[in-house]
Order: sequence, then C-alpha cells, then structure tokens
Amino acid sequence: MNLKAYNPAWAQHEAMHAATARWFRRGLLTSEQQQAIQTAYPLDFYRPGLFLRIGLFIFAYIGASGMVGLLAVITSFDHLESLAFIAAIGTWLALEFFIRSSRLYHAGADNALLYMALGWAALWLTAVLDDVLPSISSSSLLSSIQTTLLLGPLFLLGLLATIRFADRVVAFATYCLLLLLITIWLLQLPFGRLVLPFILMAVSAGAYQLVALLSKRPDYTYYQRCLVVLKVLSLSSLYLAGNYYVVREGNAVLGGDYLSAQIPSAPVFYLLTALVPLLYIRVGLRHPSRVWLLTGLAAAAFSLFTLRHYRAVLPTEIAAVLFGLLLILLAVWAARYLRPTRHGLTSLAQDEQPPLFNLESLIVAETAVVPTAPEPTFQFGGGHSGGAGADGTY
Amino acid sequence: MVSDQLLDELRHRGLLSAHHTEAIRQDERSRPFSLHYELRAALYLGITLLTGGLGVLLYQHLDDIGHGVVVLSMAVLMLTGFGYAARHRQPFTWEQVTTSSFVPDYALLLGCLLFLALETYLQVQYNLFGNRYGLATVLPAVLFFLLAYRFDHRGVLAMAITALASWVGVSVAPLSAFTDNNFLYYGLGGAAVGLGLLLTAVGFEAEINRHKPHFAFTYISLGANLALLAATSALFTFYPQPFLPKVLVVPLLVVLSGSLVWYARRTKSYLFLLMGVLYGYITVTYLLFRVLDGVHGEIGATIVMLYFTLSAVGVVVLFVHGKKFLNRS
Repeated sequence: MNLKAYNPAWAQHEAMHAATARWFRRGLLTSEQQQAIQTAYPLDFYRPGLFLRIGLFIFAYIGASGMVGLLAVITSFDHLESLAFIAAIGTWLALEFFIRSSRLYHAGADNALLYMALGWAALWLTAVLDDVLPSISSSSLLSSIQTTLLLGPLFLLGLLATIRFADRVVAFATYCLLLLLITIWLLQLPFGRLVLPFILMAVSAGAYQLVALLSKRPDYTYYQRCLVVLKVLSLSSLYLAGNYYVVREGNAVLGGDYLSAQIPSAPVFYLLTALVPLLYIRVGLRHPSRVWLLTGLAAAAFSLFTLRHYRAVLPTEIAAVLFGLLLILLAVWAARYLRPTRHGLTSLAQDEQPPLFNLESLIVAETAVVPTAPEPTFQFGGGHSGGAGADGTY
Repeated sequence: MVSDQLLDELRHRGLLSAHHTEAIRQDERSRPFSLHYELRAALYLGITLLTGGLGVLLYQHLDDIGHGVVVLSMAVLMLTGFGYAARHRQPFTWEQVTTSSFVPDYALLLGCLLFLALETYLQVQYNLFGNRYGLATVLPAVLFFLLAYRFDHRGVLAMAITALASWVGVSVAPLSAFTDNNFLYYGLGGAAVGLGLLLTAVGFEAEINRHKPHFAFTYISLGANLALLAATSALFTFYPQPFLPKVLVVPLLVVLSGSLVWYARRTKSYLFLLMGVLYGYITVTYLLFRVLDGVHGEIGATIVMLYFTLSAVGVVVLFVHGKKFLNRS
C-alpha cells in the first residue's frame, strides 16, 4: 500500500500554481508562460474555498455521526467497544474511499472523517484499557503506567496518521502528545521536575532542527503544510518551556500547591522570558521569516503578560494608553519608513494573496463598543452603561 | 527553498529558459518582505488599547481636576485623527477607492472611536441629551454612515451598523448576537428581524445598483445573520411571540435562506451559500422534529438517524457540486 493517502503530485502541482501565480503578478512570466506551466501541472483534485470546506466539514460530521448512530440504534447499542472499533475502521475506510473516488484533498469532508476515525480509535483504546487494567484513581493519573499505555499508542497512531494524511491538526495533536509523554516520563525521575523545562526546550529545539531539515527535502512538498505548523509549534514550545510564568505556575500545579512560590534558578527564566521573543523577532526580520516573526510577536505579548502578572508596573489603563500610543507611533513610523523598501522590508501590500473576505469589518463590529440605550427606568450615568471600552473589556 | 526546486523542475522540463529561471531566482532572493498586514494589525491594536485606556481614565477621573486633561487630549486626538483622514481623502465615488497608504483609514477609525467615548462623557457629565437616549445613539450612527460613505471605510460602516442596532435596542455584532441578546424576554425579536431585513435589503440594493457594491458584504453578513438568528430563536421559543408567530417565521426563514443562496450564486460567495444552507437546514430539521414529536422509541430514533445521514450526504453532494451550482448563473 502506498504510504501517502493523497496523490503526492497534487501537492507539487499546487505549489507550482501558487508560485507561478506569484511570478505572474510580479511580471516575471507572461500570461502564455503561466498558462503553459499550469496546463503542464493540472490541479485535478477537489478543494473548494474556505466556507465550502467549513460546510463540508460540518455536514460530513453530521452524516458520519448519523451513520454510527443508526448502527447503534438498530443493534440496540449493546457493546461500546465493538461499536467504537467498527466506527473507527468504517470511518477510515470511507475516508480512503472518498479520497480515491472524489479526489478530495484537504477539502473539509476528508478532514472531518479523519478526526472522527481517530476519535473513535481513541475511544476504543480507552475502553479496552479500562477493561483490561485495574481501574486507577484520578489523583495518580499523570504518573500512572496506564496513562503511558494510553498516550503511547495514541502518539503512534497520530504519527502514522500524519505520515499518511499530512493533516495539520493531527500533526499538532501528535506533537503535543509527544511533549506530554516526555513530561510524564521525566516526572518519574527524582530530579525530573527540576530539569523538565530544559529537557522540553532541548526537545523543542531538536524538533525544530528536524523539521527545518525535512522541509528542505524536495519530496516533502506533500508535508509542507504540516511542517509550517510544526515549526510554529516547536518555536512556541521552546519559548513556553522557558517562560517564567509557565515554569512557576506549572511547578505549583505539579507540586499540588494552591499558591505558586518562587522557583529555583529564577534569573535564568527571567532572562529567557525577556530575550527569546526578541531573538525570534530579530531572526524573523533578518531572515526574513513570517513564522519566526509572528511567533516572536505572540511570545513578546505573552512575556508582557508574564511581567504584568507578577509586577504591575503601571495601572492597567495607563499602561494601555501608553502602549497603545507607542504601537500607533511605531506602526505609522514603520509604514512611512518602509515605503517602498528598506533593509529588504516593505510596508506595501505584496503579492501575497489578498485576504479572502473583509474580516476587518467584522472584527471592528465585534470589538468596538457603542453606547447602548439603557432601559427607560435606568438613569444614564452609572458606571456600567458602557462607552468605548469603559467597561474595561477592550 | 521550495521555489528553487520548482524552478529546477520547470527548467528541466523545458518550460522555462535557463536565463529566465535565473532571473526569477534572483527576484525570489531580492524580493522585499512585506510587513503590510502586521503593521495594520499593530495599528488597530494600538488604537483599541489607546481608546479603551482613555475611556477608563476618563471614568476614573470624572470627579477630579485631572479629567480636563484627559478630555482635552482625547478631543485633540480625535480632531487630529479626523483631520489626518480629511487631508488624505480621495474624491468621492460609488466604486471602491484605492489608496496608497492605510494610515488615513486608521486615523479615521481612531477619530470615530474617540467620538463615541467623548459623546458618552458629555452625556454622563453634562446630561447633554437629557432623557432622549435615542438621539444619543442615532447621532453616532448618522455620523458614521456619512463618514463611511465619504471615506469609503468598511470598518466605520460596521460601526455605523452597530450604532444603528443599539438605537434599535439590539446588539448586531456577529458573536454577541449569539450571547448577549435576549430576544425572547424583551420582545425584541420583531425589531431584530426587521433591522436585519432592512440591512440585507440595503446590501442587495448596493450590489444591484452598484452603489458601493463592496459594502454589500458588510450589510448582508451582519443583517442576514441578525435576521436569521432572531427568527430561528423565535422558532425555538416555547412562548408565542406577539410580533413573530411561527406561521410567519417558517416562510421567512425559507425565503431569507433562499435569497442568501441566490446572492451566493450572484457573487459566487461561499460564505452566503454556507449561511443560507445552514439556517435552512436548521429550519427543516426543526420541522421534522415537530412532526416526529408523537413518534417515540426505536422507530423515531431510527428515522432521525436516517434523516441526519441522508440529508448530510445530500448537502455534501450539493457542496461538492457547489462550484458548478454557483457558476451556473
């Protein structure tokens, strides 16, 4: 059996179409050349736009659930394990069939079937383990051998599914399972909790190296979408494993304390919390790489949160005003400074695909608070009648 | 790099000449990296933080001398924002305006947000509008509609629609429409459906008569969502609604879902196809459950499961042929 569920040529052709469209927009190809290349690399798979994919996902989910429900009803639902097993196998076979017959390629319906098959498989595994092994108390859940026995096969299942289907969500979950397994194993050791952050950071760095290496391989276009997710994820876990807030609160949770106390070698984590985002942003701008830049910005935001959580330097509203002003000035300055191009950076919209639809107007409608007319009996003037952000939920 | 592999392959297959390949490779290396959307997001975040923080400051210092400074700085900032936007304005047109810079757009947004904060302040402090709360909410709506059309700004248009909705007494924002509104308790269902229909109609008008057709998306997505949601929740209420009897709601939902699908075919927009189909599906499913109310036990469950399976397969087939369906206009 072929290792890859989808035709690997589809990924190749898709990448070719995206690249030639970009080169055409930049005036590097004539439209005849673009036409010729695109006919040489036809897109003969089915993947509609985002909203149709959402619709396909929802209705494939309803349909497959209805099928399993029908099976459960007509067999009067007498054995959960067998039902989960049959559902997992059946959904998986349906998935393979529809990929063959309808040439679905990450089209929503196949995503839904894949997640359902894995979900049923996980349910079946849990039920089987529950039957075979003596039941465990929930307090020792993290350290028990049962957890490893459950998570280990789940990790392998996720890995196999990622190799076969190259799905981003499954890749995400599989990586999280790996980190969870390492954490559980380490916590069995006497010094496990002390070295846990550093081991997780090392694992994340190793994972990033591996992913970066793999994404250079020419035959890995098939996995390109997964590899981008894994890059973001490994950079994030590298940062989070060294973040002071995560380490301190995680330590408290593992120790079963209600209040977190100061942690050993705190200065190391102060330094990591402050410097890692700056490093990411620097690499992102220098390299340049959107993965590093956006991860770095998100990490910087989380570092600011960490700082404010332990040391409230300024009252929230003053901090918001000052930081908002700083952001505006910085953005306006950068927009002017980087027009048209400096240091290989530009503030002009580039040949990237324009946004699919006007998301911005929906965000404005969602976040802008308009004063609402109060009930007739209510006197205008109370603290809660609102105003732009006056309720502090900006 | 991926593009290098692609170029090698094109060169190998003879689709590009060696010289041409090298030129593209050179461009891929030297092509500047665009920070356009990052900067826009930073601007929007900054404006939201600034206006939010100023609003809180204003409330906190309502009774001491410091509030004069806050009001003054807000007024100055507002005028600066409006002034900057006005200085960089483009001539009016019914079509979409293309601008070179995005900063004026955000200056306008800043001015509008500060206007709201200041208006609320004037009402709280000086009772400017007295008990005429309607005036206090319709004023920003009118101003924002004018600004949105003059400056061709969809964000301000969305704010205008939100202000109009708060005048009507409901929240129209897409997410809070699900959480905040208690259509059932306040009898606002009728008003919400009316406003939603009006907004949808304005959107259709904009599309058909080419009066800023790119505004149609904002009108229809907010309006139709509000109308359909209010009508659907009226369908599910136990108590009879005075303005929205179920005998009216069902045809209304069917017609509205149908016209969304029609609009989706016209603009080839999958969002509206999805919305129309989802709300239509909910209505049909509700009606089926009403019919099956008397059927209990395994027969009922079997019928329900069969219905879900078959109908979902039907919708999936419709979606898979969605491209053909949308193009056949």
